[in-house]
Amino acid sequence: MGRLLVYLHVAVKQRAFQSLLGAGLPGVDTTAVGRAGDFERALQDAPDAVLTLPVVLAANGLSPSLRGFARGSQEERYALVGAGAAPEAGKVASVGALDLLGREGTNRFVKRLVGAQARVERVTKIEDLLPLLQIQRVDAVLLPARLVAELRAASRLTLAERELDLTVGLPAVANTGPGGAALLGAIGKMPRDVSKLLGVEEWR
Amino acid sequence: MALTRRSFIAGVPALAGAALGCSSGQEERAGAGRDAVLFSTHSSKPGSKSILVCMPETRQTSEVWRGLSDELSRELELIALRIGGEDASATIARGIERYRPAGLVLMNNPTVDGYRRVQASAQQTAFPPSVIVMSSFLEGKPAHLRAATGISYEVPLITVVTNLRKLIATPIDRIGVVHRSSLSGFVRRQAALAHREQTAVVREEVSPKPNASEIKRALRRLKQRCDAIWVLNDDRLLTPRLLADGWLHGLNEPPWVPTIVGAASLVSPSQSFGTFAVLPDHTALGTQAANLVLDIADNDWQLPSATAQLPLSTTTTVDLTQAKERFLLRPSALAQVDKVLER
Repeated sequence: MGRLLVYLHVAVKQRAFQSLLGAGLPGVDTTAVGRAGDFERALQDAPDAVLTLPVVLAANGLSPSLRGFARGSQEERYALVGAGAAPEAGKVASVGALDLLGREGTNRFVKRLVGAQARVERVTKIEDLLPLLQIQRVDAVLLPARLVAELRAASRLTLAERELDLTVGLPAVANTGPGGAALLGAIGKMPRDVSKLLGVEEWR
Repeated sequence: MALTRRSFIAGVPALAGAALGCSSGQEERAGAGRDAVLFSTHSSKPGSKSILVCMPETRQTSEVWRGLSDELSRELELIALRIGGEDASATIARGIERYRPAGLVLMNNPTVDGYRRVQASAQQTAFPPSVIVMSSFLEGKPAHLRAATGISYEVPLITVVTNLRKLIATPIDRIGVVHRSSLSGFVRRQAALAHREQTAVVREEVSPKPNASEIKRALRRLKQRCDAIWVLNDDRLLTPRLLADGWLHGLNEPPWVPTIVGAASLVSPSQSFGTFAVLPDHTALGTQAANLVLDIADNDWQLPSATAQLPLSTTTTVDLTQAKERFLLRPSALAQVDKVLER
């Protein structure tokens, strides 16, 4: 049907994610990557469509043709989570975050959300955010608010969260090749449980 | 399934070698000239500085290189030198002479030892800052090198336990560990860190050169009191003889407790030793090392801190055959593991 490149951070391992995508998008040649460097390389291979966050699409000169929505919105809230007291954006000195856009791009993205004062520690997987708090490398970690429950479930630390005022776009799809239109149709009909893993309730 | 002693010993050299991969290095002769260059990258940034990466040629070091070069190659020139065999220090010395690097990255114990000899032979010389990775039991400030920092190779116990709790449904509160006295400081520091996640560590100290009976006795005592056994990557405790006659006997008898190891090769459905391996993610380790290099660059090529960091990212492997036979798994367990091995 076409080649789909997926660059998203989800709460399961890459192996399980790739398998869920394969089952949810039969006939689609899906490649899931989790690192910014791997995404840049895979993008050179001219996929037919790219599924990632709108901020990543924009950084690569791509526009969404299909957007994910949840609770009627194409944006979602992010939260700062710390051990002990709830961290405050604008005051937090160091923040752990997923590396979406490489060093400079991710620094800009995180500082827009939590303030320019923050030193940013990047990690490549959601599960790597917790060690940053466990070994006290950062004051807080930044992640989509919907994933805070996963963080809590994995730890016995006393975690406190604060949702941020600014929002971030939910996953979206860019049509980048001749097979793209068919892929957009397939993603629009993706099983609910797979879409939910991406934070999406419906595709428009 | 327990192996016979003979079949286990036959399989053990590869297994033990992999377990101690951080200290072995590849035994190959390498010149110190252009033929020692494994990889190089060229930055488009004018006047960019050079980083000399000294590494043996293995799958793991190549993964570290990938993480490093993805992060650094736009801003810095990277030259990877192949290090191996007897002439590590000569290769490194000639590399420094030829490339005049602003910093070094040193991968594995023999490489670090080679660089230590380079520094020892030039006591009055100022050396560029260096970042050490894949070196066993690196903690605090590297005492044997000047201007060095690094990242520990051992996955912190707190991370190991967090991963195990995602897999096993029964409570994991007390972790048993067999260790020699020389590693008691390391174990105590790991225990203090793990305490933050409400994990208690029960220690069984063995002699500096233990025999198989000592290992078996220590394991039997721990298994009565602990919810899991954590096996350190200590080459003195993981000799083929001790693995076959001590560890395997001690672990493959009731009461069953999950065994966590630090080498993928110690998890095998046909050998029933480790239930679960938690290893550093080598590509992420390269990224972490790159960030240290960038911090040093931002600090005008002076070390901002010499204290070694802990590795942040891990990969996990489970022996599903053993885990299903002996333990209660969480429903979502397999979605939280990188590699599943099953007979």
